[in-house]
Amino acid sequence: MLVLTKLGSLFRTLFRKSRLERELDDELQSVLELLTERHVEAGLDREAARRAARLELGGVEQVKEEVRTSWIGSGLLTFLRDLRYAWRALCGSPSFVVVAIITLALGIGANTAIFSIANAVLREPLPFKDPDRLVFVWGDMTAAGYPRGPLSGPELKDLRERSSLFSDFQAIWATTATITGDGDPEQLRIGLVTTGFFPLLGVDAALGRTLSIEDETTAAPTAILLSASLWRRRYGGDPGIAGRTVLVNDRPVMVVGVMPDAFKLFMPPDASVPDDLQAWALFNKTLPQGPRGQMFLRVVGRLAPGVTFQDASNEIAAIAAGISRDFPEYGAGGRAFRLVSLHDDGVREVRPALLALSAGVTILLLIACVNVASLLVARAAARQRENALHVALGAGRARLFSRCLAEGILLAGAGAMAGVLTARFCMKLLVGMRPESLARLEVASLDRSVLLLTGLAALVLGFLLSLAPLGETLRTRFVSVLQGGRGGGSSMHYRLRAGLVVIQLALSIVLLVGAGLLVRTVVELGRVDPGFRWEGRLTFRLGLPASRYPTLAAAAAFSRRFQEELGALPGVTSVGAMSHLPFDILPNWSTTYLSAPGQDESLARRADSRAVTASLFETMGARLVEGRFFTEDDNHTSQPVVIVDESLARLAWPGRSAIGQRLAVDPAVTGHPITWVSVVGVVGHLRIHTLTEDVREQVFFPVRQALRNPMCYVVRTEADPATLTSGVRGILGRLDPQLPIYEVRLLGDYVARARATHRFTMWLIAAFALVAVTLSCVGVYGVMAYSVAARRHEMAVRLALGARPSAVVALMVRQGLGLAAVGVAVGVPAAFGAAHLIEDQLFGVRPGDLAIYGSAGPLLVLATVAASWLPARRAVAIEPLEALRAD
Amino acid sequence: MGARQNELLKGTLDLLILRTLALEARHGLAVADRIHQTTRGALTVKAGSLFPALHRLEQAGFIKGTWTESDLGRRVKVYRLTAAGRRRLAEERRNWGRIVAAVAQVLDAC
Repeated sequence: MLVLTKLGSLFRTLFRKSRLERELDDELQSVLELLTERHVEAGLDREAARRAARLELGGVEQVKEEVRTSWIGSGLLTFLRDLRYAWRALCGSPSFVVVAIITLALGIGANTAIFSIANAVLREPLPFKDPDRLVFVWGDMTAAGYPRGPLSGPELKDLRERSSLFSDFQAIWATTATITGDGDPEQLRIGLVTTGFFPLLGVDAALGRTLSIEDETTAAPTAILLSASLWRRRYGGDPGIAGRTVLVNDRPVMVVGVMPDAFKLFMPPDASVPDDLQAWALFNKTLPQGPRGQMFLRVVGRLAPGVTFQDASNEIAAIAAGISRDFPEYGAGGRAFRLVSLHDDGVREVRPALLALSAGVTILLLIACVNVASLLVARAAARQRENALHVALGAGRARLFSRCLAEGILLAGAGAMAGVLTARFCMKLLVGMRPESLARLEVASLDRSVLLLTGLAALVLGFLLSLAPLGETLRTRFVSVLQGGRGGGSSMHYRLRAGLVVIQLALSIVLLVGAGLLVRTVVELGRVDPGFRWEGRLTFRLGLPASRYPTLAAAAAFSRRFQEELGALPGVTSVGAMSHLPFDILPNWSTTYLSAPGQDESLARRADSRAVTASLFETMGARLVEGRFFTEDDNHTSQPVVIVDESLARLAWPGRSAIGQRLAVDPAVTGHPITWVSVVGVVGHLRIHTLTEDVREQVFFPVRQALRNPMCYVVRTEADPATLTSGVRGILGRLDPQLPIYEVRLLGDYVARARATHRFTMWLIAAFALVAVTLSCVGVYGVMAYSVAARRHEMAVRLALGARPSAVVALMVRQGLGLAAVGVAVGVPAAFGAAHLIEDQLFGVRPGDLAIYGSAGPLLVLATVAASWLPARRAVAIEPLEALRAD
Repeated sequence: MGARQNELLKGTLDLLILRTLALEARHGLAVADRIHQTTRGALTVKAGSLFPALHRLEQAGFIKGTWTESDLGRRVKVYRLTAAGRRRLAEERRNWGRIVAAVAQVLDAC
């Protein structure tokens, strides 16, 4: 009941204030009159009585003020009044407000954007059912010195039969297929999956159903599941698609359903399973009976309920040990499996980059906040007189703080709102320029939690920002301020602001060094010689369906005609084809090899295998080290030959020539290196996986001895790619209109992909550094302008005594240089430490690279000098007498 | 006398006002007069303390102020105790008794 009464009173205080005021006034007036009456009765005349009455009451206004504070809700009213006052005050200095809000918007906006992105990529769970129970099983080859690899069909069967801690294992492998009918022939990225793949992930089709046991066959697939984009693009979003038959690789296949728009796979990057597979089909039932050494399956598992990752990991290791024992073909090397969490593995590569970006943007926010705090301190100093007046009129220090707080909150609030807009804009930009490794970025959005966090941060920021000028305000001796001249806190005030600026300069050095290191990294990556040339090379893929090219001869004949015609196109200087392009997204092809008879196969090293046409090396500009390239004579009737790379030659036959040596390899992908070949040539190593290092040895087969389908054509041309493409399509139109070419891209684009993440990070950190230096310069300008104003007298006296203007300016610039020197001195060690944190992202440059530090320091000093020179220059332009007179 | 007086009254002014109004409805000045009278001048409540207290009590619902014509024909705001106020008075009286007893115990302890 009383609560209701109190609420009612609160209502009256807030909304019926004028009435309350009137009543209070009436009440006090009546009290005054009563008191006056008493004094009159006691014998005083009216005037004296009234005066005595007022004295006795204690001052009407004072009493009213006391009563007002006792009203419920008065605290709120006071704060609202302070907000209004702060609003008016801020409106009175628009330039300050604009600068402060822009600064805050940059800092808060950039932070919100980066943290939203980091959140989306690093923390957002995968869009599957219970995604934290999903794991990836890798074949561990690190003992043999290689990155991890896939599993084979029999190994998948072993996992299923021998494990008890998992509810299921399923597998996927990405390949290509041609789809015809209902439009132009098209080459699809297709995922072959095991039967329970989609139920394992816990995802359903949006239309129809996913693949299931009724679609299993012992031969080629008879059922296909479409992706939403393929369904919309090729079939016009036909709602009756389920049950329709389409032609895949010239065979009729039934469409069972369509996956939802948002469905994406998000496998680890080195699994070579693209996010955007366009269709899925089932492996045939003979998968578990395949060769044990034919490893191509990407295996996903789901932990049984309640099982811990550690226990599952141990079981997997035990299973590997078990099959090493049970199957002698693993030999002495044995087999090892490794378990990783599906989510963590997917973000493994980008996590360092994102963390570096998060750190960088936080530094930027700090600099921005310091700037605004510094501006507020300057304002407080400028308003010393005004504050002194307030205190003299009875406002307590608490009220001053309340007002500072109100200003801080208004600024921070406005800054945060501007920040959200900036963040939206930044996010659009970033999502647009994202590299493939950050594919999940597209789900990043300014979700509620991030906005809430920003709002909270703004409040805290506002509170902290208002403390900055508060210190200044509280310290001032108001009496001395009112008596004239500047307050007693000016030197302390300068020291405070100078300290803040030094912090900004130091932080800017950190960002500058970081940016410099990353720029160098990108430059070095660009200078890496990957063993081939990519300028002016256009690539495309072409697959020959077995139904129309059933024999090797038929395929060879087509290929020869095609290459001839391609070579005849205007502007084309060279044509070649290879089975996999550098930095390709499709699964790698590798083979174990033996360099001498009798070597233990299980301990054999592994080499990347590629099938190439005779002219491919020339077209790619690869370097011949020894021997020769392939010729037309290297075909399926002649002696089996290979070309190896330098690393293989060095490892297998150290100190000897590799030409004429014999190698056992596996061009037919049987799982065992059983074909003995002769080495006819050695090429320089081609960097095809990463720009930063040589990964594996390489073996090249002539395409006539190791037929691969599809093949990737590389055309060296001076012509414009679009003209060339239509030329190619024209040729195909004549030779075989049913053949589509797909993924027409410049070779340079594939190489750029390898640098993409580094470039992304570099651009961002460079942007941060630029903004940081700008903000710091603004800070320096502000401090120096203040100092110049404070020393105006001194400067005027010097000028009047005959000093040259340039000397006086130099004096001020020296002061600025002092700030810069301290900033650099503090910043360089900090930058050194930070550089070590991003060490593993650098390439071709050490964290302590002197050239970078040597350029960052002077750059900042230069900027500081410029920022100190400007206010000094302006000041000496004023007539000295004027300056002396005005004060 | 003034400073010590304020400290004393801070917690107990409400109690004194409620008690005074329990006997008879009065206007603000009369409440101060009555307290001054009853304590034979030992306690003087200044307007700066009295009126905030009155308003606070009124906003909380313990007393209610109404504008009436005094016998001398003047408009005054007269306060009277509400039912809730009566309950509050009883509560505060008990509290006060407990405090006094406790303080006495401390003072009389050896």
